[in-house]
Amino acid sequence: VMSKNKSSESVKVVVRCRPLNRKEESNGPAGSIVQMDLRLGQVILRNPRAPVSEPQKTFTFDAVYDANSKQGDLYDESVRPLIDSVLAGFNGTIFAYGQTGTGKTYTMQGAWMDPQKRGVIPNAFDHIFTHISRSQSDKQYLVRASYLEIYLEEVLDLLDPNHGNARPLELRESPESGVYVRDLTSCVCKSIKEIEEVMNVGNQARAVAATDMNEHSSRSHALFLITVECSQPGPDGRKHIRVGRLNLVDLAGSERQAKTGVQGERLKEAAKINLSLSALGNVISALADGRSGHVPYRDSKLTRLLQDSLGGNAKTVMVATLGPAPQHYDETLTTLRYANRAKNIQNQPRVNEDPKDALLREFQMEIARLRAQLHHRKWRTKQKKEQVDGEGWERDGDEETEGEEEDEEDEEEGVEKEAEEYVKQEQRLEREKQDIREDQFMLADEKQRLLGEKERMMGVLRKEQEATEQLTAKYKAMESKLLVGGKNIIDHTNEQQKMLEGKRHEIAEQTRSEREIQQQMLVRDEETVELRETFTSLQQEVEAKTKKLKKLYAKLQCIKAEIQDVNDEHVRSRQELEQTQNELTRELKFKYLIIENFIPPEEKNKIMNRLTFDPEEDQWKFQPLVPAERSVWVLDVGMLFPSEPSDMYFKTLQILWTLQEKRENIIIVK
Amino acid sequence: MASASSDEWRAVCDKFTNAQNLTVVESRNDPENDPFRSKYKARELLREIYCTLKSFEAGEGEEESGAESSEQRPTEPPVDGQREDGYGQGFSGDSPAGLRAAKLGAVEYYLGVNHVDTEELSAGQEHLMNCMKLLERCSVSSENVSLFIHVRNQLGILSAGWDETETAQGFLETAESIYQRYLKEDGSPPTDMTEYFTTEENMLTHQERTKRFELAYTHTMYYLAQVYKNLGETERAATYCHSTLQRQLQLNQFSPMEWALNAATLSQYYITKGLYMEGRHCLSAATVISDLAGEVPSEAAAQESETESERREQLRQKRAEIARCWIKYCLNVLQDSKKLLEDSIGELDTDRQEELKMARRREEEEEEKGRKSALLFGSEDTFDSIASLEEKVHCLLPLDFTEARAVFLVGQNYVTQAKEYFQMDGYVTDHIEILQDHSALFRALAFYEEDLERRCKMHKRRVDMLEPICSDLNAQYYLMIRRQMMFELAEIYNEMMDLKLTLANRQSDTESLDNHTINKFNHLCSASAKYFQMFLDSLCSPEGKIPEHLEEEVLRPALVARFRVARLYSRLISPSPSAQLENLDKSLEHYKYVVQYCEAHPEAAAAVETELELSTEMVGLLPLKMNRLKAKMVVNN
Repeated sequence: VMSKNKSSESVKVVVRCRPLNRKEESNGPAGSIVQMDLRLGQVILRNPRAPVSEPQKTFTFDAVYDANSKQGDLYDESVRPLIDSVLAGFNGTIFAYGQTGTGKTYTMQGAWMDPQKRGVIPNAFDHIFTHISRSQSDKQYLVRASYLEIYLEEVLDLLDPNHGNARPLELRESPESGVYVRDLTSCVCKSIKEIEEVMNVGNQARAVAATDMNEHSSRSHALFLITVECSQPGPDGRKHIRVGRLNLVDLAGSERQAKTGVQGERLKEAAKINLSLSALGNVISALADGRSGHVPYRDSKLTRLLQDSLGGNAKTVMVATLGPAPQHYDETLTTLRYANRAKNIQNQPRVNEDPKDALLREFQMEIARLRAQLHHRKWRTKQKKEQVDGEGWERDGDEETEGEEEDEEDEEEGVEKEAEEYVKQEQRLEREKQDIREDQFMLADEKQRLLGEKERMMGVLRKEQEATEQLTAKYKAMESKLLVGGKNIIDHTNEQQKMLEGKRHEIAEQTRSEREIQQQMLVRDEETVELRETFTSLQQEVEAKTKKLKKLYAKLQCIKAEIQDVNDEHVRSRQELEQTQNELTRELKFKYLIIENFIPPEEKNKIMNRLTFDPEEDQWKFQPLVPAERSVWVLDVGMLFPSEPSDMYFKTLQILWTLQEKRENIIIVK
Repeated sequence: MASASSDEWRAVCDKFTNAQNLTVVESRNDPENDPFRSKYKARELLREIYCTLKSFEAGEGEEESGAESSEQRPTEPPVDGQREDGYGQGFSGDSPAGLRAAKLGAVEYYLGVNHVDTEELSAGQEHLMNCMKLLERCSVSSENVSLFIHVRNQLGILSAGWDETETAQGFLETAESIYQRYLKEDGSPPTDMTEYFTTEENMLTHQERTKRFELAYTHTMYYLAQVYKNLGETERAATYCHSTLQRQLQLNQFSPMEWALNAATLSQYYITKGLYMEGRHCLSAATVISDLAGEVPSEAAAQESETESERREQLRQKRAEIARCWIKYCLNVLQDSKKLLEDSIGELDTDRQEELKMARRREEEEEEKGRKSALLFGSEDTFDSIASLEEKVHCLLPLDFTEARAVFLVGQNYVTQAKEYFQMDGYVTDHIEILQDHSALFRALAFYEEDLERRCKMHKRRVDMLEPICSDLNAQYYLMIRRQMMFELAEIYNEMMDLKLTLANRQSDTESLDNHTINKFNHLCSASAKYFQMFLDSLCSPEGKIPEHLEEEVLRPALVARFRVARLYSRLISPSPSAQLENLDKSLEHYKYVVQYCEAHPEAAAAVETELELSTEMVGLLPLKMNRLKAKMVVNN
């Protein structure tokens, strides 16, 4: 999946598998359960207990390293770009994760003395300081290191001289700089040697603390934190500071991982039951997990400390280590699943530019202050000297400007010159004292007074000299903490080495992109197969549907014909009816004509009034002239037309009734 | 064991004591490269005991071929949950045969636990199942009931570890029913398993027996709570957690602070389910029990000794956490009742209010009934203090301003307490969360306030507490919090603006507003727009570019903010037509953004349906309005 956002990138996950050891080899012919496809970055895991028919599990990662891989390969390909980013002011984190005994320590530390077997950490140290020494001379660097351990949710400072009895440190948050460890020791390192020393001190402290505890190493997380601050003049002429932080994290053995919940969201652990009642809080807080309530149990310390590395402002590499032996199947699977999940964590790394808490700025300001003090002192001494000398007023102006023009680099020389000046002044005062003593013309007490004055002046001078020396020492100490780039830039071999490294970097880059392309190809392949599959099934579907369609079509035609027939029939009958109606209307008109012309209106009204419709017999009937006892009048044509029954009239009525009947029929048909 | 000489028996007892000592004490000091050394030693001793017991049995040569039959190991393991275990079958627990079976079973039990501890789970299970089989032949009695429960607890744990949650549930539920039936039918303090292998003079007191037995059952409940949690039956899990806590208190097996914190956390489960009476009970108990931990050491005392300093830190922190749970209680009560009482435009629905007040009496009666049936915390000396604390705040939803204010004040009091520990410097996130809750309390209270002037002042209080902090925070480390605060501030200003307008319209019936009101209105309007804009700016890339694609979690807020800004610009009152035109232009731009974004990302439309509809309409209407304005300007000129 392509990342949604350009500024976000996912955690890089690489997997390394150690070779089978002798004991494991002797255990049987089962061999390794882990297969690796280096070109595709895939790990194929075989379940030693499952039947052969069961499909093997495949996981894809950013890179995989098999038993034959070299330390250098892993570093160049997967770690070097991260360290470069740190040097450019990004936050970077390397997690080492895996079951105890899978070569986590070998990967991270390796054998320090053997250049071929040096692990990620020594290589990173080397990388950082080499980079500094080769960078341009207008860059100033400050490198600091801290080393801490999280054991049973307690943060312990491994660089604290009395580590053994030290109290656990607290995590705190500051409005300006976020989460920090209160009172954590931080050592300024000026060289590889110094930073290695820091690491050794911490490692020793860790080992000492561990002797009285079981399974210590598999339960404790170790964090080595390096801060690289770099100041460089920007285009605006001001110095800009970039701060890169590198976290080297040795996570507790993966067998404990589920409980520490490093991955941001708590790993859903199997249905394991907590035995001790002291964990009741965890059970309850799992129930109370809701947005509208407050759950007092916080994220683990590790999660809080590294929140930037998992879903925050950092570039993160996770190195998962595996054991290939069949008996490690479960743990290996857990490790792979965990690593697989970590791939989905998205980070938004940004360069940390001019943060408020940069120590380098503080140092620079302190140095500037000290320098100003020194300048001031020098100027004062000069003035005094001139007072004493009583001469050289013109030279003074020159010197002042000279002093201002003095370059930072000349500062040390300036200090030395100053010391010389002191010595000279002292000598001169001594000489003057001598002169006074030898002056025989002067009065004794006058002499005494002058001598005392000279003595006092010398005392003041000495005191001042001491102060200046102290200041200079402080100044030098401060400045020595800052590393300046460009020390080795002329070095030709270095130049070549740099090129070589560049090439190596390029190669690593290419391997990586090749693997990415391979992985993409694989995905495409799958897609094509999927498409083809759906295509064949579509064909079948079309055939089935066509058959059905034909059948239905025939049925439809039948029904259509039927409808047509019915329609035709209706049309015919309607036409007939129309004809009849026309005839009837004509006749009716004719009858009306007769009525109008031949029957007097009052007679007509009489007749009309007597007409009533009998719904039961469906007939028009005449009411009897004399009200009868029966409520229903019977039509008696003879009574109506006693003289001469009009045939025509009778017929008309009859037809009208039939017509009405037919109409009703039509309605019913409709 | 009549046939065994007392010397022999004494040797067995010694071995057992030794094994226990190795398991519990010695094992802590085992070296890293041999972590189970002591446990392996203990295992050897237990095996020896097993053999000795067997030989006694053979020596007695009694009735049964029991020895062989247990050697044969029937293939079908007994599984719990299918029938009532241990009652009304086999020989009784206090018969010699029953006792023999119990002793042998106990050794199997200890062997089982030993194997589990040394990560040999299958072997451990086998031993535990052997124990089950031995017990199967006995009926439950005071001699063996403890073992009946212990072995099921262990098997429950084991099954759960293998993801066989239902099997675990079976074992543990049977243990539960055995316990309950035993208490009903017998109830005398049962023999502890360790007593099987102690000499007469070292038997436990009745008190100690009861304590151990009850503790075993407390664990059963605790494990059941976890099993139910894993099965997703949160309600039952909560009940069992509740019972576990209650038993801890009853049996006096708890550390006050830890217990209090757990009870407070449990309250959060209840309040999210709307069960305020239970929630309040947990919180009151938490407060009362946490007081048992004693006074917080003074700062001076803390400076002198490290243990005091640590104690001070712990007590202050945990009490502050409990206070935060109380805040959430008050807040949820207020918000829930608000939801119940508000009409379609978010104002108080007085008809509904009356209706609910009528129904109140019935509720009160129910509360009384509920209290009686509920599982209550407390020992004799704490019971009353818990009850009196409960009386200080209602657990029924408030229905008018007076009632709401009472809840609010309690909440505000806890806000002060919590802030004392969670200060800005050092606890940024916590501190701000508390402030946000405080603001939310005010917001909920404002809903009940009928006087708009005072309502406006409440909102002003919210602004005063949030505004300074929002600007002080580092934008990088506290991005999320700042976004929340900006959005909230924008909404508060918006609310205040609306209130001011309603007030002004009420006071003067005339259409025109006076200058002062207009200025005030415009100020609030632009403040709201400013914060919405700040929120939108926080979404931009470091180079200040507006993101092309909004992440899902900010999609709706971002589009809503756009929409609201658009609306705010169109509402600004300005005397000059040209300024007004400018504002309308800005407004149009934001409306257009919403419409265009949803066109480009059709999936976004669903998230902002109403806003999109209105925006589309406005994009059509605003240009007309602007044209009219322009025309007017031309005429006037």
